[in-house]
Amino acid sequence: MSKLVGAVAVAGGGVAGIQSAIDLASSGLKVYLIEKGTSIGGKMAQLDKTFPTLDCSMCTLSPKLAEVARHPNIELLTYSEIVGIEGEAGDFTVKVKKKARYVDPEKCTACELCISKCPVKVPDEYNEGQGVRKAIYLAFPQAVPRVFTIDAEHCIYLTKGKCGNCAKVCENDAINYEDRDEEVELNVGSVILSPGFTPFDASQLEQFRLDHPNVITSLQFERQLSSSGPFEGHVTLADGSHPKRIAWIQCVGSRSPEIGRANCSSVCCMYATKEAMVAMEHDPGLETTIFNIDVRAFGKGFEEFYQKAKNEKGIRFIRSRPSGVEVDPLTNQLSLKYEVEANGINQEEFDMVVLSIGLSPSESSQQLAEISNVELDDLGFIKTEIDSPMETSRPGIFVCGAVQAPKDIPDTVADASGAASKASSLLASERGTLITDKENPPEKAIGDEVRTGVVVCRCGINIGSIVDVPAVVEYAKTLPGVVFAKEEVYACSSDSLAGISDLIKEHDLNRVVVASCTPRTHEPLFQDTLIEAGLNPYLFELANIREHCSWVHQNEKEKATRKARDIVRMSTARVNLTQPLYTEKIQFDNDALVLGGGIAGMTAALDIADKGFHVTLVEKEPELGGLLRTYTRLQDGRRTSEVIEPLIQRVESHDNITVFKDTELIELEGSMGNFNGHLKGDNVDEEIGFGVAVIATGANELIPDGYFSYGEYPNIVTQSQLEPMMDTGVDAKTVVFIQCAGGRNDERPYCSRACCTVAMKNAILLKESDPDRNVYVLYRDVRTFGKWEELYTRARELGVVFMRYTDTLEPEVTDRTVSVIDHLLGVNFEINYDLLVLSAPMVTPDTNEILAPLFKVPLDANRFFLEAHIKLKPVEFATDGVFLCGTAQAPKLVDEAVSQASAAASRACTILTRDYLETIGNVSVVDPELCIGCGRCTLVCPFNAPELKEIVVETEEIIYTTKKSEINPTICKGCGSCAPECPTSAITPRHFTGPQIMAVIKAYGEGIQ
Amino acid sequence: MRRVVKTSPRNNIYQENVYRTGTNDIWNCLTCNLCYDGCPQGVNYSEFIKEVRDKMDSSHEVHKGVFTTLSELMSELNESRTSLNETGNADSKIGYYPGCLDFHDMFFNLDVDFKSIADSSLKLLEHLDMNPRIMQMKCCGHDQLWQGDKETFDKLKEQNTNLIKDSGIETLVTSCAECYRTLSQDYDLPVEVVHISQLLKDADLGVDSGVKVTYHDACRLGRHMGEYDAPRNVLTGAGAEVTEMQHNKSESWCCGVSSMMNCDDKSKALRKARLDEAKATSAEVLITTCPKCLAHLTCMKDEQESTEQYDYDIKDLTVFLAEQMGEK
Repeated sequence: MSKLVGAVAVAGGGVAGIQSAIDLASSGLKVYLIEKGTSIGGKMAQLDKTFPTLDCSMCTLSPKLAEVARHPNIELLTYSEIVGIEGEAGDFTVKVKKKARYVDPEKCTACELCISKCPVKVPDEYNEGQGVRKAIYLAFPQAVPRVFTIDAEHCIYLTKGKCGNCAKVCENDAINYEDRDEEVELNVGSVILSPGFTPFDASQLEQFRLDHPNVITSLQFERQLSSSGPFEGHVTLADGSHPKRIAWIQCVGSRSPEIGRANCSSVCCMYATKEAMVAMEHDPGLETTIFNIDVRAFGKGFEEFYQKAKNEKGIRFIRSRPSGVEVDPLTNQLSLKYEVEANGINQEEFDMVVLSIGLSPSESSQQLAEISNVELDDLGFIKTEIDSPMETSRPGIFVCGAVQAPKDIPDTVADASGAASKASSLLASERGTLITDKENPPEKAIGDEVRTGVVVCRCGINIGSIVDVPAVVEYAKTLPGVVFAKEEVYACSSDSLAGISDLIKEHDLNRVVVASCTPRTHEPLFQDTLIEAGLNPYLFELANIREHCSWVHQNEKEKATRKARDIVRMSTARVNLTQPLYTEKIQFDNDALVLGGGIAGMTAALDIADKGFHVTLVEKEPELGGLLRTYTRLQDGRRTSEVIEPLIQRVESHDNITVFKDTELIELEGSMGNFNGHLKGDNVDEEIGFGVAVIATGANELIPDGYFSYGEYPNIVTQSQLEPMMDTGVDAKTVVFIQCAGGRNDERPYCSRACCTVAMKNAILLKESDPDRNVYVLYRDVRTFGKWEELYTRARELGVVFMRYTDTLEPEVTDRTVSVIDHLLGVNFEINYDLLVLSAPMVTPDTNEILAPLFKVPLDANRFFLEAHIKLKPVEFATDGVFLCGTAQAPKLVDEAVSQASAAASRACTILTRDYLETIGNVSVVDPELCIGCGRCTLVCPFNAPELKEIVVETEEIIYTTKKSEINPTICKGCGSCAPECPTSAITPRHFTGPQIMAVIKAYGEGIQ
Repeated sequence: MRRVVKTSPRNNIYQENVYRTGTNDIWNCLTCNLCYDGCPQGVNYSEFIKEVRDKMDSSHEVHKGVFTTLSELMSELNESRTSLNETGNADSKIGYYPGCLDFHDMFFNLDVDFKSIADSSLKLLEHLDMNPRIMQMKCCGHDQLWQGDKETFDKLKEQNTNLIKDSGIETLVTSCAECYRTLSQDYDLPVEVVHISQLLKDADLGVDSGVKVTYHDACRLGRHMGEYDAPRNVLTGAGAEVTEMQHNKSESWCCGVSSMMNCDDKSKALRKARLDEAKATSAEVLITTCPKCLAHLTCMKDEQESTEQYDYDIKDLTVFLAEQMGEK
């Protein structure tokens, strides 16, 4: 590579692209995030809740949207498409077509005035065609960027030259009908493809009757559940009434080789379960039924979620896939015909049928693949290998998310960070070359006299038409400390911001209140304005008179005005007491520790080391390799040694990696940036310092003693014992596999995710090596999710016999026979076996109980490590500076472990690439004299920022040793959870002090007559 | 207190009464009366403190002043009371006043069931064939009085006094040392106020527990009211083996926190000293008669990552006795 460019183009602004962009930009690379639609957010922005925790999808996503919008190293190109990629790894030229928006993003403030005047109604894509939007529109309320777009296809002015309403009403002169598409060229070192998926178009399967108004897709149902959806969260039939009986049909567009969609879509079983559960929460009398082939609840917490849905919530799961939807020609009533196991055919009526549509590669992603010149697989997904799941066939171009295979959000997020890691390793030498730091003027001293300025925003008509803004301005002038007040049409427009900066100088202001909208989106903007005017950003308060006032009191103008005055009075009272707060820059140790030398640990170590940081890799066993030493084959037919041996060699010869084998971490102190650990082994006794740690300690296969006579007879083995046997040839005419041996029971309620795929792989190998051999697989559900469905299909084609059993009727095993009742036929079978193979789940090593408290990180109910957020932070802990990957987090396949490992490395490097750790200004601090060391703060802090440290207290006569809390400013997020918990008021959140809060309460009280 | 901070009663009295300058040191006093007991001139320093604090803004309260705020609210509202949702025997001439035990349960996340003090007291009174009326009074105002908020105290006092007069009781029983002191000394009631230990001192509870205990004199019951023997007699009568701490009776040390104030690392030294003294007796149970002593000593004993280990239990007198009776 002759030239390396320290910039990356990310194609696709869904959750995958967003995560890649944030990781890269936070590691010192310039990022161009290119999104075809008008807003970033992708499909996740359309979801109501996410499984299995039922978190609000938008609530967890929108902070990420805002982070992208604000990140100084990310340039957002929305409504744009890649049209060409030339060059090679390290130096690509990416051609991007920026479509004409007809709205000037610099001028549009998203005030929505234009919407009400636009006469054109267009089916709303965000609500999946349920409801309408206008021809000038914002994709959804939280859209980023918050800029309107004119849909040229439907706009009357652009198509017929008439109307022009939007330009007439726009007070900011933002409409530009002369706007034209333009093409830009970006010079980048790497490209990440993250265009996501397209929902399967179920209208092509006419038998499912999507033409019937009460047959809808799962994504349409998702919008119906959402409070921001077409019916404000009420599931509604075409006639406006609400359904009492809803059915979901699974695998519409999945597991259907006859229509070219052979793959499982991985997420539908869980989203259908979630949708049914949420719908029942909205309407407790609702009857819900999910028609399925297998329930694929394979991810972390999924099986428990499914069991809860089935056993506690009363959702009916029927194991049959109706071939279509029946519509009574006279009554228009929907009904489904389905098979009842061993009991013929049943027909049942439903009010609504939801089609659980699969995840397909989109046409535009296929085009993108063509432009990128990367290979696709048979199903149209971008092709990768098990051991390099983020690498496409073209060097320097990486892939993440559902364009690689159908996958859920956490796997997508892990992939995204993983792809970022690969791009960042390639461009490690160019970090920081294309980004610029902003220069700010020196801060002025504020003196003792409070001089507060108040700006009251009209927000176009949003506030101005309800609240009497001039009256609020006049009122503000009478408040203590206020020396100047004025109104603005849009306080957030760039000319108003410049105006605020001038006011600060002109009137020598030392406190500022802006009365406008929510601090969530706008506080950082105004704080930047203060900084530019030489004021400390903490001398600012945003009074929310829009969301908290004008929007909710539209019919009570007078009361709204009074409330706006109250809010401004309270905000002013607080801002008058604010003081400048400063961040602190702290030197830190930018070495890393990786615990565990399996494929996850080694991948994480290499990814970090390749970026130029030193890594200490610690392995408990005498050899590196982990679980892949036990299993000998991958699903693609390769031997695991082909993957693992080169990796071991790279790790052991890497200049930046020190390997300790036969060694464990026994002591640990410190926190992010400054950890100190004690390594102990047979020949090792060493203290090491490091700034971040990656836990990749893996899992083991359960020894299934007590299950299905394991241990009683020599011809009963586990999958990992079978694999080496296959190398020498298995001498058995009849082989029986029993799945879920020791898993999905009371003791281990989770699904072990990988075992079905492992069993398929081995069944195929056994059958291929001797086609006359009988291979039976006794299963509860076949969970060969995603692309691995192909193995299940192949196994059946080869003649492997599948028989289902249930947890209440398990197979019985003697020394030579297995008897099982086949549920499809209702007949008892007795199989004489030569070899019985048990698929036992992965279980956690005992060391988890030692490591978890050492790092102050939690374990879940099944003793796997518990990540910070099950969807969006799959490789992080709530404790800063500690990361997680591989089977230590949950059972998983090799490619998933590799993707997580790279992701953990990427997240770790967003810290290691910094020059120093910077605290926030508004941390909480402990007054050591008042602290009595009770430790309550350590219990409530979500981030483990307070720590009890031993000190000696000397009083006049009594000297004693006690512990006192110390809050680590590099970890504290200033949330203030600790302060109310402190019995002696020893803790002060610096930006929410007691006097400040009391002043607000008192100011409120002044308004009560 | 002077064992842990520099404080000078003489200086404070001079500053206040002679130079009229005032001093912040008045907030250090725990009003435990230890100095009064030992003063050859008989200076009642606690009373002095109580008076000078009047009308000063204390803002020294712990727990964000939530108890004080509650009391203030109570004094303003008509239908508010601190007691439990029971009325007991409405015709009885004996009234039982549980104090603010339910608020302790609400706001402290300690492993102490404060309400059990009231339940145990009622059980003991029942054993004495006294079936009392449960007094639905507001907070007695003890803390507000000592925090300098005499205005709130006076309101509570007036409202409670009327309630007691209207109830027609002749004897008012308290299980709390602070209520006992306040209702006896700072109120002017036409009824007899007794501490429950005084009723129980000669009673035959029918138990012979044999448990080794030590007794912590709450300052309000001991030095303020002079009652040292009754609790000890009850304990001995119930068969408990009472071992005294190094400082006991009139020389007893304070739990370190007074009127929901003064909780910091200095007063914690006093708590530690007291817990160490109890540890030295090798008693199984440390008994007290004041819910605040109970709360504050337990708070330290049950710390998250304590540097000390205290193996004994800390219990209110009534709870200990009721438990012993229950085990019989």
